[in-house]
Amino acid sequence: MDRPLGIAEARRRILREPFIFTGTGREYFGIWIVNILLTVATLGIYSAWAKVRRKRYFHGNTWLAGSTFGYHARPVAILIGRIIVLAILVAYNLLAQSLPIVSGIVAVAFLFLVPWMVMRGIRFNARVTSYRNVRFDFTGGYWGAFLAFVLGGLLAWSTLGILAPVASQWMWRYMLGNLTYGGRTIECDPRLEKLYRQWLLPFAVVVFGLVGLAGLGVALAALIQTGSLDPGALWGDDAPVFLVALLLYAGLVPFFLLFSLAGLLYRAGTRNVALDETVIDNRHLMESNIHRGRYAWIAVSNLVATIATIGLARPWAAVRMARYLASCTALHVTGSLDDYLNELAATGTAVGSEFMDLEGFDLGF
Amino acid sequence: MASEPGGEIVGRFYPAASSRRIEAQLVAAPGGTLIVTGKDGSVLGEWSAARTDIADRIGSTPRFITFADGSTFETLENDRVDALIAGRRSSVSGFIHDLERFHPRLALVVAAVALLAFGLYRLALPVMVEIAVLVTPPALPQLMSAAALESLDRTVFSPSDLPVPRRAAIEKVFGELAQHGKRGVGGYTLRFRDGGAIGPNAFALPDGTLVLTDQLVALAGEKLDPVAGVLAHEIGHVDHEHSLRQLYRLAGVTGLILLVGGDIGAGAEDLLIQGTALLALSHSRANEAEADRYSVRLMARAGRNPAAIAEFFEILRDRYSDRSELDFLSTHPATPARIREIRRLAEELAIAGE
Repeated sequence: MDRPLGIAEARRRILREPFIFTGTGREYFGIWIVNILLTVATLGIYSAWAKVRRKRYFHGNTWLAGSTFGYHARPVAILIGRIIVLAILVAYNLLAQSLPIVSGIVAVAFLFLVPWMVMRGIRFNARVTSYRNVRFDFTGGYWGAFLAFVLGGLLAWSTLGILAPVASQWMWRYMLGNLTYGGRTIECDPRLEKLYRQWLLPFAVVVFGLVGLAGLGVALAALIQTGSLDPGALWGDDAPVFLVALLLYAGLVPFFLLFSLAGLLYRAGTRNVALDETVIDNRHLMESNIHRGRYAWIAVSNLVATIATIGLARPWAAVRMARYLASCTALHVTGSLDDYLNELAATGTAVGSEFMDLEGFDLGF
Repeated sequence: MASEPGGEIVGRFYPAASSRRIEAQLVAAPGGTLIVTGKDGSVLGEWSAARTDIADRIGSTPRFITFADGSTFETLENDRVDALIAGRRSSVSGFIHDLERFHPRLALVVAAVALLAFGLYRLALPVMVEIAVLVTPPALPQLMSAAALESLDRTVFSPSDLPVPRRAAIEKVFGELAQHGKRGVGGYTLRFRDGGAIGPNAFALPDGTLVLTDQLVALAGEKLDPVAGVLAHEIGHVDHEHSLRQLYRLAGVTGLILLVGGDIGAGAEDLLIQGTALLALSHSRANEAEADRYSVRLMARAGRNPAAIAEFFEILRDRYSDRSELDFLSTHPATPARIREIRRLAEELAIAGE
């Protein structure tokens, strides 16, 4: 196999192909508002069709090496999935409300159901996604999902986030490492020390933020205690009600913001690490270089703009984020992307996929 | 590029199940066949148009035309594809695309969304809640109530220490009030508990179980009417089925938010769900006012002091105005406005009755 390379062959040996997102807020606005109109008008039934149109818009505007991605889910499959998932959620909540003895068992059963739904969801999404006429597939099993999502989640929470990178490693390995494209494997093995390097900043943000908040709380309590701040004088008769509301929201909102910010920084950092160690078909290398601060800024300003415009800026915000993420992602293509063959597979049901959709699992592709 | 209808559509062709990309063009030949040719004019394939899947148009994204054998033609020339399929298939997807196009008309769509969302919340949701309440089997509120009381008994409540005569007196009044309630004497059960950490409180469960804590009874001192006013208020909650309505309303709104969740983004979705909880809080205030009015009327019917509930709130206000025990106040605020409203209604009733 040691034959010398031809010039043309050598030249196309490694080519950096950036992802490009070409959608515009102007164009997506129409699709988005019609989606919402018809979803509300049909009491949610249209939401399945809306999801397909939205996904197709974003996939179809994501270019890699001169081709876009395709999304081929059938809306009816998604609708059935949504109905089943809503029924499960309603039944679960009713059971938990009315039979406390059984609800413990139901909660545990639900915990064991989640990995199955996540597995089916990733598989469904992979199988309905195509690039250059060839579909993706997902070969991850139940216990991999159990490890990545249930045990990983428990591990991260029970150690107050200190072991979160271990959970991230399991999750990325499971999600990306089990993907296949045209029957060829995709490998993803983010190294733990690299994940921990991305964990330092968000962890510091949480620690210093909590110290700051605690100081603020003590100062406020002292002010009320010494009488410098008199709630009764400020709000009159309704003071007790206002004070409760104030404590609830003034206390909870900063916590929420703090953890959201740390989450954004962490998510961006681990995406970089995971994609940088992702290899497709043993030869094409992924690259991700999100700037964490910029990512957090886009996410936060998007949310602020969306709220300030009572939602109308959402299409612009979604396109802005998609454009940024695409601009930070590239594929180092070795050789040609021409020789992949579709392995025809049934797409399966959308139940798991809809569970992830409705319960807000953000897989961040 | 030819622009006349029926001319060739420029794009790329992928052979069946392959990622090999070939620059190509597609023409519709007479007889309902689609022919794809390469740059050099070689025919790459011929298919029956009837068995070809042409994707709906989404913005200006590339259109996929998938042939029966799994080969695909991909093109950016959406208008030409539309011309190709004109009249051949239902126009629903074309209509949706036309609606989606950036045009001043979209302002109308925005207005329609706002109007629909408002109408849904104000008109359709209450109707659906009523229907849900009607079709709810009585076993469900019974199960839920038993479960709620059981978990409270296990966590905060302990058996009541109320002296037997006091208890008997309250039960007697309760029986009189129940007679005038919608469900009649057997429709309500009164349970006494030591409130523990919850303190002075009274609440109604959807199956008609009323819970009264010793601490609340103690607040009234020796008086009976304030306690009776509270019981009448709770019977009002049961008769109006407030807790079931609240539950269904919350479930309906949350369900719809979940369904548009993908369109509005996870952050905005969370905020909306929080906002719904706040709205539910304001609704619970409206329910409280309704139960207050019910208490006034029920007490009058039972031949007792209709303003008794106001008397209770005054006790509460005097007792807690200078202390920071806010638990009861936060859900049942004893505001002057509320007391005034009760007194006004009681007077009106007295005038009407004379």
